[in-house]
This record gives sequence, C-alpha cells and structure tokens, in this order.
Amino acid sequence: MVAIESPAELTSVLPAAIFLLPILAGFVVLAGGRLGHRFCQGMTLLTSTVMVGLAFQMAARVFGGVVLVGWGNELRVDALSALVVLIVCGVGVVTSLYSVRYMEHAKLSERSGIGKPEHRLAIFYALFLWFLGTMTWAAVTNNIIMLFVAVEATTLSSGLLVAFFWDRRALEAGYKYLMLLTVGVTFALFGCVVVYAAGAATGELGGRDALLLSEVRGVAGLIPNRTALVSVSLLIIGFGTKGGIAPFHPWLPDAHAEAPTPVSVLLSGVMIKVALYALARTVSIFFPAIPQITIFLVALGVFTMLLGVLLAMVQDDLKRLLAYSSVSQMGYVLAGIALGTYLGCYGGLFHLLNHAIFKALLFMSVGALIYATGSRRVSDLGGLARRMPVTSVCFLVGALAISGFPPFNGFMSKLTVYLALAESGLWWAVGVAVLTSLLTMVALVRPAYRVFWAEPAGGVSRLDEVREVPASVWGPMVILAMACLALGVFPQIAYRLLDQASAILATVGG
Amino acid sequence: MTEMALPVDLIRVLSLTVVITSVLAVELRKLKLAAVAYLFQALLIVALLASFASFNHALYWWAATALVTKAILIPWFLFRTIKKTQEIERSPIVGFVPSVVVAAVLMIGFFRLTHSQVDLLAPTALAQEEVFRTNLAVAATVFALGLYALLTRRDAIKTVIGLCLLENGVHLSLVSLAPGLSETALFGIASEVVITVFLLLYVIEGVYREFGTTDTFRLRGLQW
Repeated sequence: MVAIESPAELTSVLPAAIFLLPILAGFVVLAGGRLGHRFCQGMTLLTSTVMVGLAFQMAARVFGGVVLVGWGNELRVDALSALVVLIVCGVGVVTSLYSVRYMEHAKLSERSGIGKPEHRLAIFYALFLWFLGTMTWAAVTNNIIMLFVAVEATTLSSGLLVAFFWDRRALEAGYKYLMLLTVGVTFALFGCVVVYAAGAATGELGGRDALLLSEVRGVAGLIPNRTALVSVSLLIIGFGTKGGIAPFHPWLPDAHAEAPTPVSVLLSGVMIKVALYALARTVSIFFPAIPQITIFLVALGVFTMLLGVLLAMVQDDLKRLLAYSSVSQMGYVLAGIALGTYLGCYGGLFHLLNHAIFKALLFMSVGALIYATGSRRVSDLGGLARRMPVTSVCFLVGALAISGFPPFNGFMSKLTVYLALAESGLWWAVGVAVLTSLLTMVALVRPAYRVFWAEPAGGVSRLDEVREVPASVWGPMVILAMACLALGVFPQIAYRLLDQASAILATVGG
Repeated sequence: MTEMALPVDLIRVLSLTVVITSVLAVELRKLKLAAVAYLFQALLIVALLASFASFNHALYWWAATALVTKAILIPWFLFRTIKKTQEIERSPIVGFVPSVVVAAVLMIGFFRLTHSQVDLLAPTALAQEEVFRTNLAVAATVFALGLYALLTRRDAIKTVIGLCLLENGVHLSLVSLAPGLSETALFGIASEVVITVFLLLYVIEGVYREFGTTDTFRLRGLQW
C-alpha cells in the first residue's frame, strides 16, 4: 500500500468560489432574463471564463504542493479534484461560447416547452450554469454524503435541459434520465451511508471525521470485508449508472441524443466523468483490502467498452452513435482507474481528460451538421466536405482521436491503458481493448466518410444550399481540435497534473 | 446516550405500520389512495424520527424537515399531477393477486433477512441493538418494496411513488447508520427528493400532454 503523504493544507476561498459563483450567476440570469438574450449569454460567458481562471489558479496552487481546503475540510482540492474541475470549466467555457449561436438558431419560441417562450433562453442558461456549478461542487467536496448530494444535484439541474425541446423524444428521454439516474444514485447514497457508518464504527475517527473522504480512506483497511463489499456494490450500481457503465447505461443514448447539443457536450464530455470521479474516489479506498474488486471492475470496464462500440456501430443517428461511443470510452477509463496502479490511474485519467476534449469536439461537429442541414442521420447526409470544410476536418480529427490514431491524444491515453493492463498481466483485457479501438475506428470513420465525402444517397438536392456554420460555432470546435493534436504530440503538457492526480488515486502497487 | 430509554414498543408498532403503508402505496390502484398511503407513511416516519430523537436531538430537526418535505410538499405535488392527468393506475405488469403475494413475500422475507443479518450492513455496535435492528430491517424492506414497484409498474406516477419509497427506505436507515450527520447534509438529502419529485412530475405532465397517457410502455420512441 502506498503511504499517503499529507501535503500542507492551505485554507482558501477558491474551492467554495468555484461552485458558488456559477450557482449565483444562474440566479442572476434567471432574475435578469427580461434584459434579453445578450444579457443571459454575456453572463454565462463571463461566468464560465472566470471559472476557468479560478480553475487554473487552483491547479497552479496545487502544483505548488499544497492541498486547498475550505469550510473546515468540508471542501478539499487536491490534484485529482483540480483535474476534474479543470475539465468541467474548460469544456464549460468552450460550450458556452458554442451555445450562443446554436441556441439562437434552435427557434425556441416556436416550440412548446418550459415556461413562456421569451423566458426560455434565460431558463436554459440558468440551468446551464447550475449544471456547471453542481459538477464543480461534486469535484471539490470532501464530505461523502455531500458528494452524493452534489452528484444528484447535477442530475436535477440537467434534467430539464435534457427535456428542453419538450417534444415526444425529449420528454421520453427526460423522464428516463431523471428516473433512472435518481434511482441509481439513491443506491449510491445507501453505499455512502454504509461507508460512513463503517468508517465511524472502526473507532479510529471521531464524529464528523468519518464523513470526510480524506479521513475514511485511512481506515478503509479496518472495515470488515463483508460490509465493504455491500457498500462497494451499492456504489458501483449508483455511480456506475450515472457514469454510463454497462449494464446501467440505457438512459445515456436517449439523454445525450435528445438534449440540445451544448447540453449533450456537457453530458458526454463532462458529467459522466464527474460520476466516474465519484466512483473512483469512493471505491478505490477498498482496493488494497479486497483486490478482487479491481479485477471485477476491470472486467466491467472491458464489457462496457465492447458493448458500447458494438451498439454504436449499428446507429444511423449521429448523436446516438456518439452517445454509445461515450459508453465504450468510459469503459477504457474505468478499466484504467480500476487497476488501482499508478500507471492504470494515469492512463484512465489521461483518457478521461482526452475523452472530454474529443467527445465535446465530436458532439459540436454533429451540432454543426444539425445547424446547417437540420438532420443528424447518416443516411440523410452526404458529400458535405466541400460545403462545410471546417466541420468536416474537425469531425475527422475527433473520429481519429477517439479511435486512438496517432498523432492524436486518444492514441497516447489508450496506449497507456493498454500498457497498464499488460503490466498487471491482464492480457485478455488488452486484447479486447485493442479490438474495441479498431471497431471504434470503423464506427466513427465510416459515417464521417459517408457524411462528408461520399455522394449523398439519392442525390439529395436539399444539401446544395448548405453553408458552413458561423465562426462562433466552428471556433470552439477548432480550439478543441487543436487541443487533441497538442495533447497527442506533446503529452507532457498534462504530465504534472496527471502525475499528481494518479499518485493520489493509486492505492495498489508501488 | 443510552441513559434515556427509547419508547421501544411505540417504535416497533410505528415501524411495522410503515412497512404496511409501503405495501398499500405499491398495491392500491387508485392513484389518489396510493398517494394517501404515502402521506400516511410520511407521517409515521416523522413520528418515528421524533421518537428516536430522545437519544439524538439532531433528529428533531430531521423530523421537521421530513414533515415539510415528505408529508406536505411531495403529497401536494402528487395530488396536483394526479388531478391533471389520470386517477387510475395503468395496469402493472404483474396482476393484482400475484403482486400482493409477491409484495407480502418480499416484505416478510426481506424483513427477516435484514433483521438477522444487520451486521452485513452496519458494523456499528449501535445498529446491532434491538430497536435499531428493527429500524434497519424496516428501512431495507421499504427500499426493496420501492424497487419492486419501480420494476413492475408501468404507470409513470406509480414509479414516482416507488421512487419515494426507495428514498424513504434510505432516509430511515440514516437513523441507525448515520446518527452524526450534519444538518446541511440532511437538508441536502431531503430537499433533493422534493426537487426530484417536482421535476419528474413536471416532465410526466408534459408526457401526458404529448402522449395522452402516463403509461411508460408507450415511451418506446427511443430504442437501440
């Protein structure tokens, strides 16, 4: 077992500010909605930009070898939390930029929906900000019960965003999303409560300390195995449902496909990562005492990656295809993190970061297709590369990156996961992971070819008038595509943060 | 904390009645009556929390929160939606008689199982003591019945009631498992259920307007 060194703790307002700011800003947007669209969009852009600034500042402090705490250790930011906060805020700012033109184009006033038509955009941005705020809250809290509260709050703030278009498909997706995730996360609450009770029962922690993840971790070895297994199963069901781990994934394609694209980006790009973060934080404390859990979780991860990609291959709807591929990619993250070794955690977290970038990129590219053509079906589209050059290149970059094609970032993180699995002697898992990667290539590059380069089926003349999306829509996509390339060619950019975060998460091996 | 005697008999009676109200909430086909059963259960839970509170004063606060959220707000939301949509539940997957049998078997079986295997859930000395054992067994049984309702009912409003039972089960377990929980955490947990139920019912009303039914089996547009 790795000795848990205790770095200097520094009391700071940053951990509280990073989630209170967007939540307050959400109320401001809601209250000031009558000031018009520009006000809502401006507030959202401003808030998400400030959040990125705060996130970088937090990361910089953590690099300096301190752990930021707030509210008497209730909030705690180590390198792992800083990484998740950076992902949330980074994707958040790019998405809010993307959403400006996209949501104006969505013609909200012509649909039925939540509230009065003129208030709808304000509601959208308020929920959007609360969604960002609750996700950062989940990443910075150190209280095991509040972790549940924050994770459930992300479901609640995004529930109406999933159903936002309020048509048959969106309502169905919204109902399934709220119901399945709440049921799932209730299991996690039960699990958290058992962990807390068991931690308190070891007699090593006084009163409230047993609520703190950082403290429970130290006594996890003293918790009886049977109790540990009960809580681990509950936590896997709970946070696994939220994280899109098979067989708890069926809500995911519905919600990710039917939500407005900026919300899909946040759901697939960030939210499921926050859930896996919660899973890793809680379950990994039991790895040293019960090594069988790691094998079980790796197997679950491998099953998830294969099932996800097989289902992705049969999709015609591009957003559903991407959603199933998110399931598959979460399998890689889980397989890496579940090993519990330093290398496994490094690979898993690196893939977590990379997936946030390229899945956001892919969803935005499909959003651009919807913006320009009004369709997201592969069979409706074709030959768009000439008309939408930027979108086509961005989608291809995303597709190659997610398939683990060098020189993009997905190659680096998948390679790390393979190496970590091989290091632990799990060659069967390496085999499935490599196979999945090849299938991912087929699943994504084939539709990319169909949509952008092949002749449209039946020579659809409708596509002749298609034009490239405006710069405020493709701009964010280009930024993400550059990030894919940058992290693929210079993976050392992320090394320090990932190194520290993996050292915290790794509980097995030297 | 042991110096004060808990009203043991009262707690036993209340606990068993909580289990019976869960079965009623699951089995009653008239949604209003099911909601009334739920309301009744919420009041029992408030009484239970208040009677446990003699050993842990934080539970008074918990009881007050439960009164507002579970006994007032959630039933109010339920009644409002039932009025706007439909009064009779869509027939569940399982017929009435088999369902009652299953629920009864679940109830007795689960109660006995958890009552005898409490150490599996709770290694604390406190939870092994008699009244807390009963409390945990009741919590787990209500949880199981809620899950049963979620799995076999096709009416969307009934699934919401099932979800509420599931939550009640977990919340009851907090009495034995997490006596030191802070007020903020309790408040967070309790308010979250209310918001969940509110949002779900809001979406279900939308579903009713679009689909003309609250039958979840009709929500089949999205598959594969």
